[in-house]
Amino acid sequence: MDAFLHQVLAGLATGGIYASLALALVMIYQSTHLVNFAQGEMAMFATYIAWTLINAGMPYWPAFLLTVLLAFVLGVVIERVIIRPVENAPVLAVVVIFIALLVILNSVTGWIYSYTIKTFPSPFPPEPIFGKYMSTHEAGAIGVTLVVLVLLYLFFRFTPLGLALRAAAQNPDSARLVGIRVGWMLALGWGLAAAIGGIAGMMVAPIVYLDPNMMGGILLYAFAAALVGGIDNPWGAVAGGFMVGVLENVLGAFVIGNELKLVVALVLIIGVLVVRPSGFFGKVLVTRV
Amino acid sequence: MAALLEVSNLHAAYGLTRVLHGISFAMQEGSITTLLGANGAGKTTTLRALCQMVKTEGEIRFGSERLDRRATEDIVRLGIAHVPDGRGTFVNLTTEENLRLGAYARKERAGVDDDLERMYGYFPRLKERRAQQAGTLSGGEQQMLAVSRALMLRPKLMLLDEPSFGLAPLIVKELFGILRSVNQTEKVSMLVVEQNAAMALELADHAYLIETGRVVLSGTAADIKRDDNVRRSYLGY
Amino acid sequence: MSRKQLILIAIVLLAACALPLLVSNYRVFQFNLVLVYAIALLGLNMLTGYNGQISLGHGAFYAIGAYCAAILMDKYGVPYWATLPVAAAVCLVVGFLFGLPALRLEGLYLALATFALGVSLPHLLKYHHLEKWTGGVQGIVIAKPDPPFGLPINADQWLYYFTLAVTVVMFVLAWNMLRGRIGRALMAIRDQHIAAEAMGVNTAMVKSLAFGVSAMYTGVAGALGAIAIQFVAPDSFNIFLSIVLLIGIVIGGLASISGAIYGALFIQFVPNVADEISKAAPWAIFGIFLIGFVYVMPMGVAGAVRMAVARLARKAQNK
Repeated sequence: MDAFLHQVLAGLATGGIYASLALALVMIYQSTHLVNFAQGEMAMFATYIAWTLINAGMPYWPAFLLTVLLAFVLGVVIERVIIRPVENAPVLAVVVIFIALLVILNSVTGWIYSYTIKTFPSPFPPEPIFGKYMSTHEAGAIGVTLVVLVLLYLFFRFTPLGLALRAAAQNPDSARLVGIRVGWMLALGWGLAAAIGGIAGMMVAPIVYLDPNMMGGILLYAFAAALVGGIDNPWGAVAGGFMVGVLENVLGAFVIGNELKLVVALVLIIGVLVVRPSGFFGKVLVTRV
Repeated sequence: MAALLEVSNLHAAYGLTRVLHGISFAMQEGSITTLLGANGAGKTTTLRALCQMVKTEGEIRFGSERLDRRATEDIVRLGIAHVPDGRGTFVNLTTEENLRLGAYARKERAGVDDDLERMYGYFPRLKERRAQQAGTLSGGEQQMLAVSRALMLRPKLMLLDEPSFGLAPLIVKELFGILRSVNQTEKVSMLVVEQNAAMALELADHAYLIETGRVVLSGTAADIKRDDNVRRSYLGY
Repeated sequence: MSRKQLILIAIVLLAACALPLLVSNYRVFQFNLVLVYAIALLGLNMLTGYNGQISLGHGAFYAIGAYCAAILMDKYGVPYWATLPVAAAVCLVVGFLFGLPALRLEGLYLALATFALGVSLPHLLKYHHLEKWTGGVQGIVIAKPDPPFGLPINADQWLYYFTLAVTVVMFVLAWNMLRGRIGRALMAIRDQHIAAEAMGVNTAMVKSLAFGVSAMYTGVAGALGAIAIQFVAPDSFNIFLSIVLLIGIVIGGLASISGAIYGALFIQFVPNVADEISKAAPWAIFGIFLIGFVYVMPMGVAGAVRMAVARLARKAQNK
């Protein structure tokens, strides 16, 4: 029973990270109907920026905030410069561009920082406050995830800019008719997604250690989470993230062994896509022929 | 006096298909002008051309500003509110969120709440449904919402695309009555595209008749109503 | 096919045959891999270029073919040439089976599903319950086959000729398939699949078969690659292999048979050159080339060649 509880709680911690990344994916999907294959690498790159700042002597939380800001800017720049020209291009072109982005971010990071694994500090004290069930970092990660989600909710629900972003994502034509600069809203969405990804990266790096390939598996879980929750539903993404985290841990520890955990993600992805493409909480999309 | 809106030799095309073949017309400030014509005549395209939602050639002047070659978002900021065909409701947002978005481009942020109350005054049904998802509103209610959203901009000019579409005659009368009132009290000029010629000519001061992308007739609403061809082809008697 | 094209192909084939006798063993090995990649790219192109189904996971089929060959040779002593039909059959079936649920997925969703396949396959290969067969993380080492009948060439050269023969056969097969009804059906589905269905094309069957045949080609390539490199291990078949294959068809040219060769040359030799700069450089270059090609040369090298040839032909006509 103890072991089970431990796995569930650890699953919630990683689930929070999947939830954040899944949320970033859904935000971009909602506004552009594109799947951002490079989301993981963007998060990883931001985490390396944080590492550089911390190693240069900056204390953790200022570095954290500066990284979030820089990640935001990076997201905006990527959308305006690389994604905007292909927004209406055929699917294959878009996929290729995303893959190219993935590859460039990965290799540039490897080139600047080399591929040796580095440790990334946790801002939370190492003493386990919650006893044997959960490390303080895991609890802290869940906490940070929840704070980010609450802030995002408040932003989207109660600020004019948040409202404009939602409007632009749902109905770009009508949004233009009320004077919303849809292009910049998209860039803003990308910036937010990149910032969220960066936070997720900084929360997961202390657990899995920092290396250019650290986000590959995590991205897969995030995809699974986003699909399970409904790829156009932010709440679904969050719920999906926690579900996938717990499922992965419990299955890995008690049923299939740790090596096949990623295959769980694969099965989930294909299963959801084939059986219930709109996910558990998403809307069924009807396309006109 | 200089016209509020002046369109000269406007051409428009969807891809390679030309739809407007040199439309010219003008609107005075404070007037309600209607564009009449059958299905496919090019009326909706004209409104979309004014907002630069299609590719155009030719000149469009709004006061001293030229509209052609501006982005839609910027045209809105000049004080032109477009109620599109299909209403363009943000279906996943609440009624009130839809209304607040109407005021997004306004320079004077003060008074948004007052204007909101004013819209609820015109259309009490919207107030009942203020927290509901806009997609659950009936057709008539969504039309009222679309008109209110446009009014939240405090526009100088309102473009309305078939506002009577799919509405019961009584509702249309109510709506048009409110439009007349807004035009007189708030000095909002209106360009109304309508298939329902009879009701449009009751509402408007001036009318233009469009056939296959060209203006074929123009005049005061009263004159147009009396024109024999119009009576026979568009008014049915 | 015109006489000029036939003569051109004959020249290329002759050059390909003469190659091993003129260059070092290491180069022969590299060109062997070019042929291997060409077959793999042809497979992927059939699915993505001709049929419009995006696969970001073809590395998985390459891996399955490679492991088939390695396991058969290492554990069961099967001769190298006999592993090819087995790899082909296995991948045909697996590809077809994967293609069935994939029928319901379009564009980005299919890309996502295949991406998941590509990322998770190495983990499946490392699974300790399968270690008896797969050799786990360390993989399997296999012996290089000797030239038969005591021919006066060395093992590398023999393997090159063997691969060349297989390549020619598979290219001819593909050319035959793609220029006829099957090719037209594939492209009809890619461009207007509802219209294709309405015209009587059995889209479900064609799409699943396309997956199967495409996987078969890439699987055979994997087997040949394993034999050439003499080694298989899970980490050689990660998502980056799938990405390399995608790069190959984009650069080489989508929906083009010659594109497979241009693409193969690109992905084999660019890393060799770029490696001099830094370990990370090849991928950065790949990425930049990808973006460049999407904007500037969306038809790939094959497309550019075709346009250049057409322009020359027009100039000749106008004289």
